[in-house]
This record gives sequence, C-alpha cells and structure tokens, in this order.
Amino acid sequence: MSLPSLHGRVAYIFCEADFDVDQIVGVENIRLTNPDELADCAMQRFDPHFAEQVKDGDIIVGAENFGYGHPHFAPMIGLRHLGIRAIVAESFATGYWREEIAEGFPQIACPGIISCVERWDVVEVDWNTKELNNLTRGTSLPITPYTNSELGMLQAGGLVPYLQKKI
Amino acid sequence: MGYTITEKILGRTTQSGKPVRAGSEIEVKPDYVLGYDFPGYLDLIFQQMKNEFGIKKVIEPERFAIFIDHMVPANTPEEEDLHIVTRNWCAENKVRLHEREGIGHQVAAEAGYAVPGGFVVHFDGHVSQLGAFGTLAIGIHTQLLEAFVRERITFTVPETTRVNLTGILPPGVMARDVFHHLVRVLGPRSCRFQVLELGGFALKGLSLEGLQTITGLAMFTGALTAICNPDQRAIKYAQERCHLNMNPVSSDSDATYAAIHNVDLSNLAPLVVVPPNPAGTAELTEYTGLDVQSGYLGSCASGRLEDLRAAANVLRGRRVAPGFQLHIVPTSQAIMASAAKEGLLTTLIEAGAFVTSSSCDYCYGRIATMTKGQRAVSTGTLNVKGRMGSPESEIFLCNAAAVAASAVEGKIADPRKYLKAINT
Repeated sequence: MSLPSLHGRVAYIFCEADFDVDQIVGVENIRLTNPDELADCAMQRFDPHFAEQVKDGDIIVGAENFGYGHPHFAPMIGLRHLGIRAIVAESFATGYWREEIAEGFPQIACPGIISCVERWDVVEVDWNTKELNNLTRGTSLPITPYTNSELGMLQAGGLVPYLQKKI
Repeated sequence: MGYTITEKILGRTTQSGKPVRAGSEIEVKPDYVLGYDFPGYLDLIFQQMKNEFGIKKVIEPERFAIFIDHMVPANTPEEEDLHIVTRNWCAENKVRLHEREGIGHQVAAEAGYAVPGGFVVHFDGHVSQLGAFGTLAIGIHTQLLEAFVRERITFTVPETTRVNLTGILPPGVMARDVFHHLVRVLGPRSCRFQVLELGGFALKGLSLEGLQTITGLAMFTGALTAICNPDQRAIKYAQERCHLNMNPVSSDSDATYAAIHNVDLSNLAPLVVVPPNPAGTAELTEYTGLDVQSGYLGSCASGRLEDLRAAANVLRGRRVAPGFQLHIVPTSQAIMASAAKEGLLTTLIEAGAFVTSSSCDYCYGRIATMTKGQRAVSTGTLNVKGRMGSPESEIFLCNAAAVAASAVEGKIADPRKYLKAINT
C-alpha cells in the first residue's frame, strides 16, 4: 500500500530557518481547537488573502529545521482545514516532525526545495521514485525516505489507527 | 567498531539484548514509562487505551510512574477534576503516582527512575535531563501512547553527536550558560534527531545538578535527548534510589559519532537568551540595564540547590528592587526542604523574594502571569512569545545568579559583581 498521491500548488514558502509554526495562527490563538476558527486566523499575518487563494491539495514549503521552538497542534489543524495536504521542507525540527507524523499529516524532507520552487508552482510527490517533481519547472529533487513506522502512521492516517492495526 | 552508550542501552532493551547500530528501526521495551497530567496528554491516553484499544489496565504497572506537577494547586474545578481522573487511573492500574513532590523530571531522579543504563520514555522532551545519570530518556510526544498499549515500542536508533567540554567555569557562569553556549556554537539544528552525548574533563567540574540542567534543555539543539557516560557520582546517586539492578554502560572509545565537537568553557561569561527564540543566545553584558519587572527562578531546568545558593549569594544582605516580582520555586519539595535546612530560604525571603512550593506552573505563565509590555528574566525552559503570559511580554533566559542580580537592580544585571565565588 502506498501513500495517497500528492499533487498541488505551493501555496506559501516560509524562507526563515528554524521557523516557529505557532506564528501561522499567532500565539494568541494556539489554545484554539476548533478547525473553523483556526482556519480563520491561519496565515493572516503572512497573507491576509491566503484563505481565498488556497485550494484543496496545496502544499506549504519550509526551510531548515521547520517547526523549531515549542510547536502546538493548532497551526496545522488550521492549515489542513484550508486544504493543505503536506509540508515540504529542507529539514524538520525533531519534536514537530514526530507530532505531525503521528497526526497522519505528511511532512516531507526534501533538501534543496527552497531554491527549486516559487510560490504557486505545481508540484507532485512520487512516492515510488521518492522524488518531488516541480511540474511548472520540469525539475526533480529526491525526498528523504520514511522509516517503517512513519510510513505506517501516514498510511493508516495517524498513530491510533496505525497502532490498532499493529496490535 | 565500538558502540555509543545509546546503542548499548537500546540494544539491551530489544528481544535479543544485543547492541544495535544507529539507523536500525527496532522494537524496544522501555524500563520506565513516565508522564504528567495535563489536558490533552495523559487523559487522552487513558481514553484512547480504553476506547480505541479496549485496554483497561497497563501490563507491568511497575514500569509506569505518573506525576501531578502541573496545575498544582488547582485553581478551577476542571483542573481538580483532571487530577481526580489521574489519581483514579493510577489507583486502578496500581501505578505509582507522585503528586505535589515537585517537578516530575526532577522527582523522577529522586524517586529512582534515573537508572544508569536505563531507557525511559515520556511525552515531554525535558525528561532528557535523566541523561545526567547515564539514563537514555526520550520525549516521544503523542507516540507515548504506544508504550501504554504495547509492551514494546518501535524506535529508530538515533545517531549521536559527541561534545567534549573542557575548561573550568569562571565565577558567575553556571550550567545554564554552558547549554546556551552550546546552542550558540553548535546551532539550533546541529543535533536534529540525534542524541547529544556530553563528555570531556569539564564534566567533573560541573555538579550532577548542572548536568541535569544541560541535558534537560537538549531539545533546543534539535536533539532527541542528551546523555552523559555515568561517573561514580551518578552511579552512587542512582544506587541510593533505584529499584532496578542494572549495569551502567558507557560509550566505547571507538564508537561512531555523527560529529564530534570540542568546546572550551574557560572564557565563558554569563549569557542571556533573547526572546522570542530559544536559540537567541547573546552575552548578558549586551543587555545589562534593560528594565525588567519580573524574575523567575525555578523550572525543571533550573531551581535546584546550586541555583538557590547562587541566588542567595547575590541576595544575602540585599533587597529586591521596589516593585520587582521575584518568584523562586525550588524544582522539588526535597530541594526546598534542603534549602530550608541550609538557611537559603530565609536569605531569599528576607531579601524580598516570593518563595513557593514546587510546581511547573510558573514556567508557562499559568500563575505569575505577565501582561502586555512586561519583561522577565527567567531560568525557565523557554522564551517563546506568550510563554509566561501576554504574547506582548518578553522573557530573557539567564542563569539563577543573573535573575537574582536583576531582581536587585530592577534591570538586567551582571551577577559577577555580586559574587565572590559561585562555583567554589
């Protein structure tokens, strides 16, 4: 069983290394749990028109050590509710990565991605060749393979269904 | 080729018991599974066990220990309800509960879960501080659920970055400064997904408490955890408290490391970590004179005897500046009792400090909450926006002596002028 295909536009690029994802919804909103409310506040300080432009299947691109600091679940709940289906970054912060993979949310480590995409480029992830293809520019980059348990969590849709299958 | 301490510990906890190599994905059985109650953490795991897996009780309850250290004391009925859920679950499962004994990561060491050579999991990454005793202690976040529903968990053996520390800390410089210096020289992503292994002659000059401070903050180098090869002090401390009989292990001299760094501490000066980034290390002297309204000396990272002694050395015979709020929260009740016996609490209280029993709650702004425009000096774990109250307040992390010096002046202050010799 492979992962669901990923094909979408680069809806935003966070160029800042060690990016604190809580900024996506704002620290004042990190205790919210309602996806509608989180979608409303997501990305406001980066692009107030983000919600109007984003489409289901789009992805977000990040730089090195994406998710550093003390990340909460709220930002990604908001982004998923807006249709974001994956985060692709140069590399990820350890804790953020574990949390979001356990949520069943694809996080894709793709060294070189920042200099190979522009906002709104169309990209797809080929899980078989383990490559990210930039369809707008006709370029490809290798992605870092998952461990078996990471793959299992993403395939199952999160930690709980993954463990249910395992037991 | 030899093995790292991490590879040896994880290998022991596999079915075969043989050492393993970094990169292998293996099934390991933690010696201890730890957690604290906080909304959405243990209460969620308890519900998931029952509702998603039909598991009523954990097997081998002696491998589990739970702490009530957040929301202590409760200030809403809902918080007390949550504590009741935790108390009842522990009673039904025959799992040890440590309530109101102090911050769990410190209590874990005091209660004997920091076994040299042991493997401990928690959801919270600051449990890494058990690494001071040669214990591999890892915060695996929500994936802790696996340890509650299976005997073994799937884990990928991490690579290790080795840091050899040399030199003797100058007066007024503390273990916290060592850690923040490591983030400065290695960078906040230097140890991503790895174990940070500390070694070198300087370790002998640092106390076990200091090593707890350094290992407890490991996550801000990107590391999964940090560990020291246990020395005689760590083994003695553990033997007096541990319930498991286990051989301490150490890295082989020809172990394979992802990187090796040598860091000299001889010329280190007190540091601050400038908000809102845990990697914002700067020289404290660049910020002296900045108005500050609040000070926090406590947390799982700092707030141990050496921190309290350092603050008392600064505050003895002096007064906290008018209007300044100095909160001193010993990391555990045992530490508080020792500080009382030493007379440290009297010194601190007479200087105007507000000293309270141990709780996690100051560190994340549940109490002593700052409002817009306020600024704190803190030995807490974090300085991100909103951590201790309003997103428009600021936290400068620094060592305990610097918190005390700043309390005297009402401004960020260099502790060295107040100290004769902090490290003697």
